[in-house]
Amino acid sequence: MKSVVTTVVTAADAAGRMPSASDLESVQGSIQRASARLEAAEKLSAGFDAVVKEAGDACFSKYPYLKQAGEAGDNQGKVDKCYRDIGHYMRLINYCLVVGGTGPLDEWGIAGAREVYRTLNIPTAPYVAAFAQARDRGCSPRDMSPQALAEYNSLLSYVIESLS
Amino acid sequence: MLDAFSRAAVSADAKNACIGAGEIASLKQYIAKANTRLDAVNAITSNANCIVSDAVAGMICENTGLIQAGGNCYPNRRMAACLRDGEIILRYIAYALLAGDASVLDDRCLNGLKETYIALGVPLTSQARAVAIMKASSLAHINETNTETQMAESNQMLQQRYNKMATVKGDCSMVSAEAASYFDRVISALS
Repeated sequence: MKSVVTTVVTAADAAGRMPSASDLESVQGSIQRASARLEAAEKLSAGFDAVVKEAGDACFSKYPYLKQAGEAGDNQGKVDKCYRDIGHYMRLINYCLVVGGTGPLDEWGIAGAREVYRTLNIPTAPYVAAFAQARDRGCSPRDMSPQALAEYNSLLSYVIESLS
Repeated sequence: MLDAFSRAAVSADAKNACIGAGEIASLKQYIAKANTRLDAVNAITSNANCIVSDAVAGMICENTGLIQAGGNCYPNRRMAACLRDGEIILRYIAYALLAGDASVLDDRCLNGLKETYIALGVPLTSQARAVAIMKASSLAHINETNTETQMAESNQMLQQRYNKMATVKGDCSMVSAEAASYFDRVISALS
């Protein structure tokens, strides 16, 4: 799993040397940003269900055609799966906030997602609408501190980019 | 390879749950103690040569058969291999301590180590003893309880090697216990 610490250790191991002073410096650097990330992760997990519901609602209100017969959300089971997937991405964002890198999203969310959606004939635009809503909705200091919100929004943008 | 943070992500993913307040509280402790941890890693890396050579010398002092003809540290070539292995093990322990997780030590060092030593005819008890001495000496460097050797008065070389890390004093019981657990992990993998 890619994070600052594992990157440093991999590089040191490839060279066969002990962790050097500059390795320790870069770990220290990531630690300094960590408290904002952990704050965002904590707040996201506390309001998780509400965030997922709001994001999912946004995608069906922007694209009501999805619920028409023959579309991707034409029965309740499919609609539930859409909310589930949004929750899935939100959970991975929570992991990324903790890890301090995009490793969990890359490995468990984005890799292969495009192919899966194409095979299942699921449009990705509604997901973009859902995450854009989540990104617009976050408000500092009501929800979290500005630094934490910036970390959270940048990961939402990362997901949006990958689905666009 | 995982660190303390990605370990939390992997175990939360297995439960299909978010990383909640409980796990985050323990990660905050890692962050609060990060400077102590970095000092501890620095204490090991800055004294690696001393730690390794003392451990191998101690192992041989307790079992001088190792450097007699037919022993496993005879001739110099095998002694050098022993010193090199000690340094490799110590290096992976330093990585694990930096990451706050044993996976790098397990995957890249301990996996198959015992089998390799058996195949090469390296005595596992001696190797485990050397790791145990490295543990004692590393913990002394981390806690700054290391003392000058008793022979130091008459030995210029030993005087020069004495190195006390001049870090800010504080509570490093958690980090030193963690470091001890990685040494114990190596010892139990070898026995």
